[in-house]
Amino acid sequence: MNEPFNGDREDLTHAEYVLGVLDADARAALERAIARNPRDAAEVARWQKHLLPLAGDIAPVAPPDYVWARIQSALGFPGVQARAPVQPHRQSLWQSVALWRWFALGAGAAAVACIALLVALPRAPSAPPATQVAYVTARIQQDNGLPGWTATLDTMHARVVLVPAAPNPIPNGRVPELWLIPHGGKPIALGVFAPDQATTLKLPRDVSGKLDAQALLAVSIEPPGGSPTGQPTGPIVGKGELHI
Amino acid sequence: MAAALTGDTAELADLLRATAAGDQRAFADLYRRTSSKLFGVCIAMLRERGEAEDVLQDVYTCVWKRAGGFDPARAAAMTWLITLARNRAIDRLRQRREGPLDDATMRELVDDTPTPALSAESSQQRIRLERCLDALESRQKSAVRAAFFTGATYNELAERCGVPLATMKSWIRRSLIRLRSCLEQ
Repeated sequence: MNEPFNGDREDLTHAEYVLGVLDADARAALERAIARNPRDAAEVARWQKHLLPLAGDIAPVAPPDYVWARIQSALGFPGVQARAPVQPHRQSLWQSVALWRWFALGAGAAAVACIALLVALPRAPSAPPATQVAYVTARIQQDNGLPGWTATLDTMHARVVLVPAAPNPIPNGRVPELWLIPHGGKPIALGVFAPDQATTLKLPRDVSGKLDAQALLAVSIEPPGGSPTGQPTGPIVGKGELHI
Repeated sequence: MAAALTGDTAELADLLRATAAGDQRAFADLYRRTSSKLFGVCIAMLRERGEAEDVLQDVYTCVWKRAGGFDPARAAAMTWLITLARNRAIDRLRQRREGPLDDATMRELVDDTPTPALSAESSQQRIRLERCLDALESRQKSAVRAAFFTGATYNELAERCGVPLATMKSWIRRSLIRLRSCLEQ
């Protein structure tokens, strides 16, 4: 009896909209009203001022770097390594997703042949020492028999370029992490990567001695930011031998 | 302190204005300074990292395109950005057909009396709002907080709290009326 009854009659739509309890249709209706009527817009702004301070309770969470890369790519900003097709001149070969995807799906032998071609390109640094491996590739096969990604290890520049081929979806809230597993050794973390676009990871300087035909690359599923232990904690979803 | 807070707000407003003018560097700076907060907002509502990443991307794409619509006289830059993120996240939630909350999530959100991590910009208003929230019955306060943090509909909130829809509506609507009179007195 001492509760006010007008709460059931009064128009609180603007407050309910800001609080976030309206269903999709009611939200859409109010958004149309806001666009047309300054009074609706002002009423919504008033409730935003009232309620938005609650957002102060929400802890910030750093988004993964690839989100920014995706935003730049979506907006077509220049200088971004992205999915966009690259001009087919030689220097761009590294970034050419189409080319690498083709490698991944094509025969391994063809890929190796192309790598030989790449090494011969003028861009390649002059005559690497014969004992030092310059480029090593691996097709990371998944359980379904399809290649998930193609990895190219460039020891000269201490980097790995990962290009998606036909990766299975990564469980939500998880990220793929790339590992080098030397023959008879423990996995070495090479980093987390964006599963659906070309990614360049840094290659630790000391791994070049561990790249041989018996070493493997593997991809495991990890919590955001990568394995907390330094060793794979989630399932291995793909692996591949190094083609040397 | 007040001067510093104002400075921060003004800087973000400047970055938004520069973004509206097509300044990519300003936009990158804005992203660097605000994306963690907005990502936190998206994760809190969507409870799912991959989806939160998609929405965050969507939000900043939208910021780039619509920064011209930002009016510092109407709202602080952070309020504008958080509102945009919340709206996108709620839209995404409404597209889902399954129930967006599990019970553990609900308990976590409802039972907690968090220590407010006061954002510099809104600490004064936050303290005032908390005082007004504290004047509500605890169930009603919990319902308001749960609604704000999860973006759940009346129906979903009623189901999760195990009360009839009319009760949930009544709790929240009465709370809103009381909050308004408390905040505007």
